[in-house]
Amino acid sequence: MTSFDEQLRELIPRLRRFALSLTRHASNADDLVQTCLERALGSVAGKRPEGDLRAWLFTILYRQFVDNHRRSRRYARMLEFFTGRDDTQPSTERTVLAQSTLEAFEQLNPEQRALLLWVSVEGLSYKEVAEILDVPIGTVMSRLSRARNALRQLSEGEINRPALRRLK
Amino acid sequence: MITTPPSERDLHAYVDHALSDAERQQVEHYLLANPHIAAQVQAWQRDAQALRTALHQSLLQPANPNLDPVAIRQRQHRQARRQWASAAVLLIAVGIGGLGGWQARLLTQASNVLPMSDALAAHRMFAEQGFLPADYKVQQSSDMQGWIDRYFSHAERLPDLTGAGFTPVSCRLLTTDQGGAAMVLYEDQQGRQISFYIRPPGPQNSLLPRGNRRDGELQTQYWSGPGYNYAMVGPADAPTAKLLDTVGL
Repeated sequence: MTSFDEQLRELIPRLRRFALSLTRHASNADDLVQTCLERALGSVAGKRPEGDLRAWLFTILYRQFVDNHRRSRRYARMLEFFTGRDDTQPSTERTVLAQSTLEAFEQLNPEQRALLLWVSVEGLSYKEVAEILDVPIGTVMSRLSRARNALRQLSEGEINRPALRRLK
Repeated sequence: MITTPPSERDLHAYVDHALSDAERQQVEHYLLANPHIAAQVQAWQRDAQALRTALHQSLLQPANPNLDPVAIRQRQHRQARRQWASAAVLLIAVGIGGLGGWQARLLTQASNVLPMSDALAAHRMFAEQGFLPADYKVQQSSDMQGWIDRYFSHAERLPDLTGAGFTPVSCRLLTTDQGGAAMVLYEDQQGRQISFYIRPPGPQNSLLPRGNRRDGELQTQYWSGPGYNYAMVGPADAPTAKLLDTVGL
């Protein structure tokens, strides 16, 4: 038990970083990490993977995030239905021209951010990522390729459709 | 095996060190001969490196003690106990709720209904066995009254038993099929326990004549007051039994 806690504790900074890259908001990120750890600790010992826990924890955290996101989108749609406006649209201030790779990264969609973090930063294998997302390896590779090209274009300021719209 | 020329996927696999030695050499060979593709691959590599550097910062956030596995285990433990508490509360409800319909009529006809038996059940569970955490613990004697008033408006004041050496120490909220109830636990220096119990009279507004009952080593005193039924439960030995006799009058 203690060693499992110890292993989890070591991975907490990475989980927080991943959650932060998804939510872009520190306290939401920690809520997400907390739920993830609660699930991990609540899981039956026999269901935990042997050895590297990282990919397993990323899976729990990512699915939780997607789940929350779906729920809040449903809520936003409901709100839109009642109030006639959509609060989920990013404000124009947010889609500024990327000054750095990090800014470009933050403009990608959540799955692209997750992919790049897993592969480029955490060094997970394509197979591990395929298992997290529950898609074939080929799909991971094509999505990764799209994510890298999007990051490249955002870094170069080539894609700035929202900014262009503002010029109209 | 990768294709010649390498596909875009192969190039990504090259960036991610996912190729065999032979494949890597093949890609490097190809990149040497195709500088504009090489530039693209290098840009991906630079982006990956820039991301690693930029995201390294967020590994260095100050630790959040709420996220420590030990803290999470403790919270889960408390939650489990709270669920236990609702299970116990349900038992109480079933205890009196079981007296619904024809059973209740039969029992009433036989005048066999034991008034405020839920107060006794609560005392046994929370005071004697003490396995559930309190919802509220007293810091000052005046706090408890305020806390009770939040849940029960215009109820009788909590009996002042300080003369006999008993002071309120904790309170628990319960649900019964007659409505929300609360039990305030009093203790004296010797650790003897008396509980004060309050709940609504229920939809039939079944008010009680003042009475008492002995059940094993416990004495229950019950009565109805403005809007609620009340009970005091405590040890049946002489001094406390006498004390119970005096409250609620």
